[in-house]
Amino acid sequence: MSPEISNQSLLFLIVFVLIPLSLSYFYQLGMSKSILWSSIRGTVQLFAIGYILTYLFDLPPGVGIPLMVGIMLIIATFHARQKGKELPHVLPVIFSGLLIVEVSVLFMWLAFDMVEFAPSEVIPMSGMVIGNSMVAMGLSLERMKNEFKQNNGQLLAALSLGAEPKQASHLIVRNTLNAALIPNVDRIKTIGLVQLPGMMTGLILGGVDPVMAIKYQLVISLSIFSSVSISAMFVTIFMYRYFFNEHKQLIESEEEMESQRS
Amino acid sequence: MFRFENVSQPPLQHVSFTIEERDKVILFGPSGAGKSTLLYLFNRLRDPEEGSIYFQGDPIEDHPISSLRKKVGLVLQAPHLFPGTVLDNLKYGPALFNEWDQRDPKKLLEYVQLPSSFLEREVDQLSGGEQQRVSLARTLANEPDMLLLDEPTSALDNRTAEDIEDVLESLIEEQQLTMLMVTHNMRQARRLGNRGLFISDGALQEDGRIPDMLDAPSTEALSQFLEQ
Repeated sequence: MSPEISNQSLLFLIVFVLIPLSLSYFYQLGMSKSILWSSIRGTVQLFAIGYILTYLFDLPPGVGIPLMVGIMLIIATFHARQKGKELPHVLPVIFSGLLIVEVSVLFMWLAFDMVEFAPSEVIPMSGMVIGNSMVAMGLSLERMKNEFKQNNGQLLAALSLGAEPKQASHLIVRNTLNAALIPNVDRIKTIGLVQLPGMMTGLILGGVDPVMAIKYQLVISLSIFSSVSISAMFVTIFMYRYFFNEHKQLIESEEEMESQRS
Repeated sequence: MFRFENVSQPPLQHVSFTIEERDKVILFGPSGAGKSTLLYLFNRLRDPEEGSIYFQGDPIEDHPISSLRKKVGLVLQAPHLFPGTVLDNLKYGPALFNEWDQRDPKKLLEYVQLPSSFLEREVDQLSGGEQQRVSLARTLANEPDMLLLDEPTSALDNRTAEDIEDVLESLIEEQQLTMLMVTHNMRQARRLGNRGLFISDGALQEDGRIPDMLDAPSTEALSQFLEQ
C-alpha cells in the first residue's frame, strides 16, 4: 500500500524547520535567515521539480528523457567545473566525461533489461548517476590540484631525471584515483548494514516488495560505483596534462595556467 | 659546456657566462637572488624570458628535453624521494631510457658511501642524510655529464653535511664531473669549488677563482655578502 501524505500533514513539517531555527536563535548562531531561506527554497524547488517531472513523464520517452538528461548534464558540468575553474578545457572534459558515463550506464540498463526506457525510471536513476559522477569529478579535480601542490618537489625531481609529464604525474594520478575510489568501496561494503540506501527506502515506502526494492538498489548502487570510478579516472587522466606546459615544465602559478587556456 | 648569453628570467636580468667542461662552479649570493632559478634554466625546468643558452655548442632548445635533463642531472635541496625502496629510486631515471640493465645498483650506492644492504630499504625509513645520499645516487644513475646541486646540505646538521661533502668531493674527483653547486656555506664552497659565480640583485656581480673571490672580493656587494 502506498501511503498518501495530505497537504495538512505536510504543513506540520514546519516543526522540523522550527527546531534548527530556535537553536540558531537561542545560541545566536546568526543562521536564522539562511535556515528559513534554504527551507523555503528547497520546498519550492522540490515542488517545481515534481510538476516538471509529472510533465516530463507524460511526454514520449524519446523526447522527455533526452530533454531532462541533457539539462542535468549541463547543470552538473557547470557545478563540477567550479572546483577547477582555473584549469584549461575543464568544461568540455567534464561534459564529455559525464556524457560518456551516462550513455554507457544507460546502454547497460537497457541492453540487459534492468530498466525500462520510460522517463519515470530513466530520469530519476540518471539523476543519481550524474549527480554522483559530478561530485566525483569535482572532488578529483580538487584532490589533483592539492596533490600537485603538495608533491611539487617529487614532480620536479621526476622531470629533472627526464620523465615525461605522464610518467612524472603517475603518483598523483594514482593518489587521486585512490582517494576517489576508497569511499565508494567502503560504501558498497557496508551497504544495508549501516543505513538503508535512499532508493530502496523510497521504493519500500512506495509499497514495493523489499526484495524487488533491493534489486533496484543493487542496479543503482553498482551503476553509481562504476560511474564514479569512470568519472574520477576520466577527469584525472584528461586533466593532469594541463599542469605542464609544452616544454614538459611544471606550471606553478595560476597566471601561467590562465595563459595556457588561450 | 654551457653558455648563457644575456639571459633574463625574473629575478635574473641579462646574465652572461660560460661553464667549461670539468669546471667546479659554486653559485652563491643572497636569498632570492635567483640562484635556484638559474639552476632550473640549465636542465629546462624553466626557460628564460630573454637571451640564449647554449649546451655543447648548440642552442639548448635544439636538444630533446628528456635527454638534456638526463645529461644535466639535478639534485634538489630536499631529497624528494619517490615512495618505495632505495632500489626503486635508483632505477627511476635509467628505466625511463631503458638503460637500467647497464647499471650496477651496488656501485651507485658505493659512490654515495652507502652499503648495498640499503637497496631493499624503504625510503621513509632512512635518515635525512641517507635520503640525500640516495637522492644523489638517483641522479648519478642517469650518468650525467654535469651535476647541478641546489644547496644539497642545507637541510642537514653539520656532521651529516660534512659527510655529504666528503661524498661529493671524492665523487667529483673520481667521475671527472662538471659541477654547479648553490651553497650558502663558504667553507663548503672553498672545499668543493674551483670557480665562483656571485649573484646579487638579479645580476652576475663577480666571476672568478673561489679563493680569490673569498679572500679579496673585488665588488662592494660581495664584501658585504661575505661580512654577513
